Parts: sequence; C-alpha cells; structure tokens
Amino acid sequence: MIEWGSFAAVAIAALVSACLFVGLYALALRLGDGTAAWRRPVSVVLFVLCGLVVLFGLSLIVPWNHFF
Amino acid sequence: MDPTLLVALVIALALFFDFTNGFHDTANAMATPIATGALRAKTAVALAAILNFIGAFLSTTVAQTISGGLIREGEDGVLITPQLILAGLIGAIVWNLVTWLFGLPSSSSHALFGGLIGAAIVGFGIGAIDGGVLVSKILIPAVLAPVTAGLVSFLATKLAFKLTNKRERRGFKVGQIFTSSLVSLAHGTNDAQKTMGVITLTLISAGLQPVGSPPELWVISACAIAIALGTYSGGWRIIKTMGRGITEIEPTQGFSAEASTAATILASSHLGFALSTTQVAAGSVIGTGLGRKGASVRWSTAGRIGLGWLVTIPSAGLVGAGAALLALLGPVGIILDVLLAGAAILTIFLISRRTRVDHRTLATPEPGAFVRPKVRKKARTGDSQ
Repeated sequence: MIEWGSFAAVAIAALVSACLFVGLYALALRLGDGTAAWRRPVSVVLFVLCGLVVLFGLSLIVPWNHFF
Repeated sequence: MDPTLLVALVIALALFFDFTNGFHDTANAMATPIATGALRAKTAVALAAILNFIGAFLSTTVAQTISGGLIREGEDGVLITPQLILAGLIGAIVWNLVTWLFGLPSSSSHALFGGLIGAAIVGFGIGAIDGGVLVSKILIPAVLAPVTAGLVSFLATKLAFKLTNKRERRGFKVGQIFTSSLVSLAHGTNDAQKTMGVITLTLISAGLQPVGSPPELWVISACAIAIALGTYSGGWRIIKTMGRGITEIEPTQGFSAEASTAATILASSHLGFALSTTQVAAGSVIGTGLGRKGASVRWSTAGRIGLGWLVTIPSAGLVGAGAALLALLGPVGIILDVLLAGAAILTIFLISRRTRVDHRTLATPEPGAFVRPKVRKKARTGDSQ
C-alpha cells in the first residue's frame, strides 16, 4: 500500500542534495577565510556551485514549459 | 438558499482558510532566521509573503479531487456538495486557529482533510472514506516526514559544524536567508494550490465553470493574495515554538535545517511521495538540535507538537461533522454555521489577546538564551607594569 520505493527515493535524494548543498556552502566559507591566494577563487567557485544547486531546486518547482 | 450565494460563502471561507494556512506556515521557513537574527522579524515575514505570492502563480496543476482520494469522490463515488465543503472548511479553519492559539505547528492540509472527512461521514456515512488512502497517504507519511527530515538535518548539521570553525560560521547567517526563501517559495507553490483546487471544484460542481478546466486567473490571484496576507500577518506563536521552543538555534543550524527542509520538500513533491511541509520543518528543527554538540532538544515541546498532529484530523473532523449536521438542515443551518464559526474565530482571537506574542516580543531574546558567559583570560600582571 505504501510505496516504499518512492519513499526511499525521496529520503535518499533529500539526504544527498541537502548534504551536498550544506557541504559546498560550508567549504566555501572555510576556503574564503584563509590567506593563501588560491583559496578565494576556489571559494567563489563553490558558492557558484551552491547557487546552481538552488537553481536546480527551483527548476523542480517551476513548470518551465508553462511559460514557453 | 440561492446556489450562487452558497458558492460565494464557500469561496470566502476557502480564502479565509488560505489566510490561516499562510500565517500557520510562516514559521516553517522563517522561524529559524528570526531566531538567529539573520533577518528581522518583520523583514522575514514580508519576504516570506512575497515569495508565497510569487509561488502561488508558479504552480499550474490543480488536484482533480478535493480530498486527494481520501473521500471516494467521482463517478462511482459520492459528490461532495458545496454545503459539505463549507462544513469541512469551517472544521479546518477552527482547528487551524486553535493550534495557532497553542503555538503548535500542525499541518493545514491535515486540518482540511480532517474537516472534509468529518463532513463527508455526516453526509454519506463512514463508507465514503477510503481507509487505505488515509493510512498510506496521511498517517504513515506523518511519521516518516519528521523522521526523514530530522535525519537529513542531523547529518547536514554535523557536516556543517565539521567543515567550519567558529569564525567562519558567521557566514551561515547570509546563507539562511536563501534557504528560508526557497522553503517559502516551495510552500507558496504547494499550498495556495490546495485552496485553488477547492474553489475551482466548487465552481465546477455549481455549474459555473466547465468540467476539467484550470483555475481562473481571479481564483489564482485571490488565493495568492490570501496566502501572502496570512503569511505577512505572521503566526508569531508558532514562530516562537519553532524558533525557540524546540531547541536553541545558531545560524549554522538554521542554515542546515532549512536546507534539509527545502531538499526534503522538493524531493517529495518531485518524486511523488507527498510529505507535509510543517512536519518536515519541525523534524528538521529537532534534527538540527540533536546535531549540535551541547544543544538540547526539549522533548516535552516536541511531544506536544506530536500530540497536536495526532489529534488534528479527528478534531477538525469533529468540528466539520458538527458543521455538516447543521448545514444539511438547509439555509437556516448554513447561516447558523457561518455565525457559529464567526463566534468561534472571535472567541479564539479574544483569548489570544490575553497573552500577546508578536514581532516585538520575539525581537528580544529570552533572558539566558544565547548568552554564554565567557571565561576571561587572566590578565598577565607582568605586561601592565
């Protein structure tokens, strides 16, 4: 009766995406803090990746085909 | 009673339900940024209101049945009349206001389902309810939602603390604004849709709109405005419970909790296993409380919230059933229903005035919270001389 398969999919997707997003943001904060020259650009790249994860999330709730 | 008048009454009540839905659920997204000071209380609710408003316009698909299959609607089932929808809405609104008075975050969809179930049982008997759907779509997900979100949030919080040091964690305050905004937007797309569905199906059942047609623009706009106004008015009591009552929240935790809430809700609505936003958000807050060393979760508050979830469907159902008994008496009953509902709303509002909780009372941290006395290093006497 309960669709355990789709529940497992939801649980795993949520776990992976939340940890990915939080991990990227935390690493970005970490690398933005040091003095070495390479740290800052890498931190910016990580923030951009975070933004992409959010955009992916947005793309899931916005039915784009509705607008075109 | 003039059917158009009845439909107008149902629409008015549906919009009021949408309003209570908004203010009940502001806490899901905005309790944590308010608690950590990432956003000022009024700014937070204004942002949430705007995002809910936008969100309401983004969703286009509206449910084919009012109850999501809980009540055997359709060709070989029962036809939920506007009278019964009215009764169900009264049940949902009254229960939403009662839980707000007690500061309990409870699911507005469950309140709506409860009200409709109560009304349908009075109208058609217990056979109208699909017990299997009730268990598989409502009761089991109600357990799975907080547990899943709690686990995700617990691990995300651990990860965030592991990767950063104390100074860097200040950056999570800014991040919180984005994660909370995402939760607000997702809420707008999900929840305004429910009311649009109720109004559209009422219009269809009254023959004012062709069968199978999408919601009219005025319906979408009205629902968007109602949910945004509700969100802006801020259910401060629930914000207090979610932001302060369950556990003390730091920016790192607020960020991780809202990221987990957003991820879980998006995954659930995209992969087709519906979970309640409120239950996911509460689970995330508990999970993040467990994830920080030295933080404690007030299980008595969590238990109270759980109890609230347990009684939501039966309680809203009882009110809905009572309202349906009256509504089926005819026009006099419906007028009596609306008057009684108005009296109940007014009473709850008057009781709430006794203990005021609003953005001003939330702005000042409770004494003792967030203040950790620092042990000062002993001044080296040699330096000062």
